[in-house]
Amino acid sequence: MAKEKSVLRDLLDDVMGLADSYAVTLKHLFRKPITEQYPDFKRLLPARSRGRIILTRDPEGEERCVACYLCSAVCPTDCISIEGAERKDGRRYPLWFRINFARCIYCGMCEEACPTLAIQLTPDFEFSKYGVLDFLYEKEDLLVDHQGKNADYDYYRHAGVSVEGDKGEHINEKPPVDVKSNLP
Amino acid sequence: MPRLVIDDLEIEVPKGTKVIDAAERLGIMIPRFCYHEALGAVGACRMCAVKFIQGPFKGIQMSCMIDAQDGMIVSTTDQEAVDFRKRVIEWLMINHPHDCPVCDEGGQCLLQDETVSSGHARRRYPGKKRTYRNQYLGPFIAHEMNRCIHCYRCSRYYQEFSGYRDLGPLQIGNRLYFGRFKEGRLESPYSGNLVDICPTGVYTDIPARYKVRRWDLQRSPSVCIHCALGCNTIGNAHYRAVMRVEARMNPYVNGYFLCDEGRFGFSYTNGGADHAQRPWTSKIGGADVTVEAALAESSSKLSEIAAVYGPEAIVALGSARNSLETQSMLSRLCRRKGWLGPVWFTDTAVYRKVRSAVERLDSGIAVSMREIEFADFVIIAGADLLNEAPMAAIAVRQASRKNAQIVVIDPRPISLPFEFRHVPAVPGQIERCLGSLVKGSISKEELKGLDSAAKGFCKALPAKFGDKESGISIPELADQLMASRRPVIVCGTGIVSESTPALAADCAQLLRESGKKAGLFYILPGASSFSSALLSGPDAKGFAEILSEIEQGSIKALIAAESDPFRDFPDRERLDKALSQLDLLVAIDYLPTETVKRASVFLPSSTVFEMNSTFVNPEGRVQHAERVHAGGVPIWGAHPPRIVRNFIPGGDHQPAWEILWKISAETSVLESVLTLGELIAAEMPAFEATGKAQYPVNQARIIPEKSEGSFVKPKTRPEQGQKPKGFNLLLTDRIFASREPSVYADTLEGVFPEPALFMHSEDAAAAGLSDGDTVSVGLEPGSIEVKLSVSERMARGVLILPRQKGIEWQRMKDFSAWIALERIRKI
Repeated sequence: MAKEKSVLRDLLDDVMGLADSYAVTLKHLFRKPITEQYPDFKRLLPARSRGRIILTRDPEGEERCVACYLCSAVCPTDCISIEGAERKDGRRYPLWFRINFARCIYCGMCEEACPTLAIQLTPDFEFSKYGVLDFLYEKEDLLVDHQGKNADYDYYRHAGVSVEGDKGEHINEKPPVDVKSNLP
Repeated sequence: MPRLVIDDLEIEVPKGTKVIDAAERLGIMIPRFCYHEALGAVGACRMCAVKFIQGPFKGIQMSCMIDAQDGMIVSTTDQEAVDFRKRVIEWLMINHPHDCPVCDEGGQCLLQDETVSSGHARRRYPGKKRTYRNQYLGPFIAHEMNRCIHCYRCSRYYQEFSGYRDLGPLQIGNRLYFGRFKEGRLESPYSGNLVDICPTGVYTDIPARYKVRRWDLQRSPSVCIHCALGCNTIGNAHYRAVMRVEARMNPYVNGYFLCDEGRFGFSYTNGGADHAQRPWTSKIGGADVTVEAALAESSSKLSEIAAVYGPEAIVALGSARNSLETQSMLSRLCRRKGWLGPVWFTDTAVYRKVRSAVERLDSGIAVSMREIEFADFVIIAGADLLNEAPMAAIAVRQASRKNAQIVVIDPRPISLPFEFRHVPAVPGQIERCLGSLVKGSISKEELKGLDSAAKGFCKALPAKFGDKESGISIPELADQLMASRRPVIVCGTGIVSESTPALAADCAQLLRESGKKAGLFYILPGASSFSSALLSGPDAKGFAEILSEIEQGSIKALIAAESDPFRDFPDRERLDKALSQLDLLVAIDYLPTETVKRASVFLPSSTVFEMNSTFVNPEGRVQHAERVHAGGVPIWGAHPPRIVRNFIPGGDHQPAWEILWKISAETSVLESVLTLGELIAAEMPAFEATGKAQYPVNQARIIPEKSEGSFVKPKTRPEQGQKPKGFNLLLTDRIFASREPSVYADTLEGVFPEPALFMHSEDAAAAGLSDGDTVSVGLEPGSIEVKLSVSERMARGVLILPRQKGIEWQRMKDFSAWIALERIRKI
């Protein structure tokens, strides 16, 4: 059942619409301004915001990256290239690790894929240069000497592959089986 | 033929097919860990559970353990079966470590795939994980036992399939361990297959350790060129380097597997670990030049020499590692330009043996490696399978596992991964032994039924072969051969007499005509020996004969296309002198050979991984290898440079056929023939039948239906009177260390066998020598110093010298020699 429209009602709506918006404008005339005077003033961004990428170290001070190639696999712009290698003690590490920031879109997929929490995005978004080649960051440029957002995690304490010391010393592991003994 | 329904799809399969295979034919991949087609079913992992809804079985059953039968209705997606498989995965993951990021199997791991596809993501079990200590298993295989899921594939492959006993299960139950009793290098030369066969990362390969993930690899079907067999491989390249070679399933050639020489001997294509060993750039007189300059230089020099001395002053050398394309181009150029050659073989005698082998093969009698597996009696005459053609030994082992009798007639101290009867006959006696064995197996009734040619041949075979020393009774073996239905003769072409390949063919033919399904398989010297024999005329010369023409000065220029006479020719001093007389030595190669170092012009050619190429294996099977990557100096080992370039460093290489065509200045070669397929077909009439229009040709066989010239009258008596005195020194092949690409592969260096001279223990005792002595074998002039290895399991009166790295056998002067006892001295 169609309701008959009242002309008076329509008019009232229009007036109220105008009056409301004027009221909002009037209210803001007396508010304190919130414009931040960047770059004179730099706001503290949340830790999870996605800017320049770093490679972090584990609590022992070793580099966390194990060159598993997951970040380079997941990267939608193919800006990460790595070569894995084996350290003398058997630990896997990247011989070189290169991020082409000229290509990077700061999507954070690499951070999400990283099983050792090595690769992390930082709030540093001020990232402009004059030359494209200056955007090629090598491992020395990326590696920092802190743990980033995850202070405690040490992948190699969970991995189950011994690097130094015996097997069975990682978290949640039994001592190694003695295959030459019959004792239970 | 049972018909069954799997997931609402109906299929008819041969009797005896397992349900898991029937599903695979429908494209339904039932998850599995322990089941493998080559190893059979054991039902150990419980992963392939499916629900049987109707038929002789009901409920959840293991699909690998049940033969397909009529009326079966099977569901792989039934909730009960899916839940069952999910629980199995959860059990397996209870002890599996959390190490996918540092495991090389990650990305190509069956356990990873099936865990993800089952949906298991949260660990519910709060207990601790079992751990094991790892072992050192040699330079090829890394061991990480924590990852093991106890499927037994490795021990079943290693012990049952490949026939070695040093790796297997230890302990029981949850403590089960797969490894060696004492750690050390794996004895099997087929150990690399453990990497392929392990469903998870217990065994991973060391050459590519930590370097690459499967998804980053450029992969293409390729063919192994390390020996003649032509096993099918997959080349894997990344960052301009071949990282890994995997076996590619070919049901007629290598099955699922590959030997370690073929699998790990690829590093020659990367120039070794430091990438510096491969000659990457063109050279004129030792100085680096552009490829265009080198092409122009060789082309102008060649036409100059042809104008002054005539085209026959130019000789072209090929080798057993040329692709069929290169061989056809060489053959065409020699004919059209009037060059001498092409010369494929160093030793003319080997050429004649290969040629008679190729001539005698026909599709009635030639067997593939796979067909050897179904033989019930195998005679191996004059071939050391483990050293000359490793995968053929695995094929014969499969026959042996099915209770076939294996007889090896060979003077060498043969060791093979199965039981066999060894008749240590000297090369001159191999024919008599083979002949008497075959003659003894023809009964009188069978003899009557033969036609006159066969009858005459059979009668002319030697009746008796006395071999008291080996204690093996030929009549007893002949009786077993008589009872067999599918005998196969495997004949070598290395140390045997020139007439032996033809005799082996006649013997196989005779067995065939006496009612057996007999087969014949030849072991040829190199990857493309078959096609080189097809491409050359009956009186083609070996390099030894060409060399005297160089010495006389009638040859002024030599083109060595992937050929290294310095390696193959047994008289280096003479070669040195002769080649220094040449006006021009053009070397086209990818290996850092001695010839390349001495060449006046060097042009880099492509390896099998860098071009499309074709090879013909010893049963006449044409196989195509696709280009894996573009090649160039690998970027492994250091930061890639931050330079923008428009060329690939080290990317100058071209297929050898292309270089040959360019330096010949023969514009009409590719004008008269449009494609490579037509080029090959024009040179090789047998290739025509495979249909040149469809180049690349793959898996077609180019052998005639019926060969000619059978039943040559055999020699009945050994040649007497002119037998030289002393020991017959024989040059032989050795696994890892004697074939051409392998000796330049630094990945194989860790397993090179120790250089040794083999001698019978009684001969050694008579000479006052003992095992392990360093001896000097006196030649005229000069001598070879080598460690002595004595064996009882070889012929008396012979010395076996492997043509391997570390032995200066190029002082021999000739391809075989007679050495008097007093010239073998201990030093």
